[in-house]
Amino acid sequence: MPHQEALTVIARITPGHVPALKAVLGTIADHGDRWSVVPFATLANVHFARFVVFDETTDLDGNPLAPQLALMTNVDAPLDGHLEDLATECGAGLDRVFDHCEGYPGVAERTAAARVEFLREHQVRARAFYVNRQGRTVTQILGEEELRRAINGHLDSTDFSRQSPEAVRRSIVSYVSSRSDLAWALQPAERPALAWRIAELIHQVGIAVLAIVFLPLLLPLLPVLVLLLRRHEKRDVPDTSIAPADAVRRLRADEDYWVQNQVTAVGLFKPGLFRLILATAILLLTDYAVRHIYNRGSLSGLSSIHFARWVPLDGRRRLFFTSNYDGSLESYMDDFIDKAAWGLNAIFSSGDGFPRTCFLFCGGISDEKAYKRFLPTRQAQTQVWYSAYPHLTTKNVANNAAIREGLSDQLSEDETRTWLRRFGVGNQLPESGLIARIFDSIRWDRLCRCK
Amino acid sequence: MPLQVDDIQGIILYGYGHLRHACFLLLGISDPSATKAWLKTLDVLSGRFNRNEVDRCLNVAFTSGGLRRLGLSDDLMCEFSSEFREGMAATPHRQRILGDSGESGPDRWRWGGPGNPELHVLLMLYARNEIALSELLTDQQSRFVSAGLTSIAQLDTNWLPQDKEHFGFRDGISTTAIEGFHKDTSPANTIAAGEFVLGYLNAYGQYTQRPLVNQAQNPHGLLPHAPEDPTRGDLGMNGSYLVFRQLSQEVTRFWQYCDEQTRRDGASSAKVRTRLAAKMVGRWPGGAPLVKSPERDDPALSSENEFLYHGEGDATGLKCPIGSHIRRTNPRDSLEPDPGSGRSIEVGKRHRLIRRGRAYGVPVAPSMDPADVLAAGPSTVERGLHFLCFNTHIGRQFEFIQHTWANNPGFDGLYDDDDPLIGDRGGSYGKSAGTFTIQADPVRTRVTGMPRFVHVRGGAYFFMPGIRALRFLGSL
Repeated sequence: MPHQEALTVIARITPGHVPALKAVLGTIADHGDRWSVVPFATLANVHFARFVVFDETTDLDGNPLAPQLALMTNVDAPLDGHLEDLATECGAGLDRVFDHCEGYPGVAERTAAARVEFLREHQVRARAFYVNRQGRTVTQILGEEELRRAINGHLDSTDFSRQSPEAVRRSIVSYVSSRSDLAWALQPAERPALAWRIAELIHQVGIAVLAIVFLPLLLPLLPVLVLLLRRHEKRDVPDTSIAPADAVRRLRADEDYWVQNQVTAVGLFKPGLFRLILATAILLLTDYAVRHIYNRGSLSGLSSIHFARWVPLDGRRRLFFTSNYDGSLESYMDDFIDKAAWGLNAIFSSGDGFPRTCFLFCGGISDEKAYKRFLPTRQAQTQVWYSAYPHLTTKNVANNAAIREGLSDQLSEDETRTWLRRFGVGNQLPESGLIARIFDSIRWDRLCRCK
Repeated sequence: MPLQVDDIQGIILYGYGHLRHACFLLLGISDPSATKAWLKTLDVLSGRFNRNEVDRCLNVAFTSGGLRRLGLSDDLMCEFSSEFREGMAATPHRQRILGDSGESGPDRWRWGGPGNPELHVLLMLYARNEIALSELLTDQQSRFVSAGLTSIAQLDTNWLPQDKEHFGFRDGISTTAIEGFHKDTSPANTIAAGEFVLGYLNAYGQYTQRPLVNQAQNPHGLLPHAPEDPTRGDLGMNGSYLVFRQLSQEVTRFWQYCDEQTRRDGASSAKVRTRLAAKMVGRWPGGAPLVKSPERDDPALSSENEFLYHGEGDATGLKCPIGSHIRRTNPRDSLEPDPGSGRSIEVGKRHRLIRRGRAYGVPVAPSMDPADVLAAGPSTVERGLHFLCFNTHIGRQFEFIQHTWANNPGFDGLYDDDDPLIGDRGGSYGKSAGTFTIQADPVRTRVTGMPRFVHVRGGAYFFMPGIRALRFLGSL
């Protein structure tokens, strides 16, 4: 079973073509999930997809930054196959969109191979890529939801209240066996390819070893670094402007059509070498953390994110962040304040205008008012958004997977009872790893006191 | 900082349980200067009063249109919360998240909708008995012409037998304790004052956004000083946002549904029917919470509010279903991170309300007994709840509770279950919901295809100013 990859393609928009491109893309409010230009739904391995236009703007020195278009997908590996799919099955749609971008093949040269080449040339690697849980393919997620629905139908058909848990489970398993279209569910889901898992393990151990070797060298420098950090933090100028009301209304108009939502935020890095090094280090740590520490369905206690990524833009000048998550933006922001403020502060305090942090982890978005005022000023409108399963929460996906596992696992009496409860509610999350639990137990907001 | 109770309108701090007769007047301002003169002398009840001496009283609140009409400048208006400024029915997005569509759509509202006259003022009248209320009403109405006010609607109320709401459940049991005001309350249910009254620290230990004015705008020093910046006058201080929704309840339909779903071989069972309804609510009709008394109504627990869910060993909803009304509108210790912990309770404290609703319309059956409701047959009279609540951050409190908890079919690991009582059956999440799952061993049971039992007939967001702020508005 393949793991999941993030494709990011960024192209400059041909001067003067932004309005025409936006007209092709429309908005989420216009087309909901029925945008037919690039039919992502026909590609069986796409979890999420989006198009975002980054409007023309300027950097901190006033230099112009050209308008750009980003195409982002979350797909089941391999990525090469996905590029092929896009270039063939969605070729006509890609042409209509990228027709407005620089460097796209001319009308006469638009072959599948030329499209793939364009996508490859404009592909940008995410600095960090979060997956709620690696290894669940689109087919698996959709299939397991169908499985749960079918079993629920079976459970409705008879009064099971006087039966033993084992008898109920036997009845469920025999029902699933009787459905040839569901027989696959009696086998456990495949794990990601061995080669990929080995590579991940090497990365996990390798970086840890490097850290253990080199950290002692950094330690003597720590007091100096902390002083430097505080000096920078005190000089930071938080952006206290308010996003124009009509811009906010436009963003809200694209939200809350399903249980899932999306957000795209973009910002300039703070100037200076210190901030550049710090931001690079933090993004490296973020990449490590989301791959090896927060990889069991919870990002620092926050369980509602399906996929998220951090991608550089305009070289080292800007960074953008996109997320596919459950619930409203209000609940998303509250979640971050309540559960993961320290992590979000560390990452995004490299961004110009961010609410003032204190020792990197504290302050920042703990100031609810400042955070909720700031975010809309950095949001970019996601013009097209696609989800293969917009009605499933991360908890639903995880619970469905556990239901399927329980069909083939050997279960004790207690485990059977617990498994059967998954048809009542799927709110039991898998336990995080040890290091994640240690991080989560820290009350970061109480560690520092700054004025 | 202790609450300045004599500057806070009384209804924010008290439910006026001794003033059981109430009526709400929705007014428009036709002559702002006359209205301002009226405001200067309007005798509203503050939080400092003696129950035995007060047999009637008034409170007042304004829509954002009303404040603009009184002449509040744009730069002050824009410091009010965006939800309040825009209004409850203003955008398709807000209608979507609140579930105000179809029969509950603002285009069909009787008041507060786009097709209704613009509301400016809410005047709330409370009295000990019918005569006192009618005197108070007549007296107030006689002043409207000279006060430059036009009457848009008069909403009457009806205190129901046994302190119940129309479905037949004892209501108003779960009240929120305000830190520094209510004494001897349980820590889990004691919430920072700033969650309900502006100008005090909220559950994040911060001051909620509100309009502050400079000296030039506050020439007579009418406004209190802002605690975080004493050089500025605080227009928000001691005020609160009032969410008002007229919710009609389909009582017969509710009990018919519970009856149909629980019939065995065509025969009804009052006991099983009531059990299903109690599972939906999370309390028995008498008030006892299911998590404390899962199998029967217990009169000794009729006012019980000291309980948790994970703390009572009910993480999986076997006693009180995860999707029941009271569990999803106040999950207590069920929230992430770490359900059952103090941190979980802390998170919940950022999404609480002070409820001050009153029922309206005659009950289907005065006995409030479901059997009598079913025997009475279809009723054409409208009845329901004038839902009123106070909060200081409408987006994080009222709207969050309605959207993220009540309307959400995926609440806490569910799939197709919205709030059985007040849910919008999936519309706000683009799917069909209306399933109610009863967690049980060996395996859950569920009912499906629930119709919507509660419809919205009108609504608006109001700002209820502190008493000094009220005089300030009168002096604009």
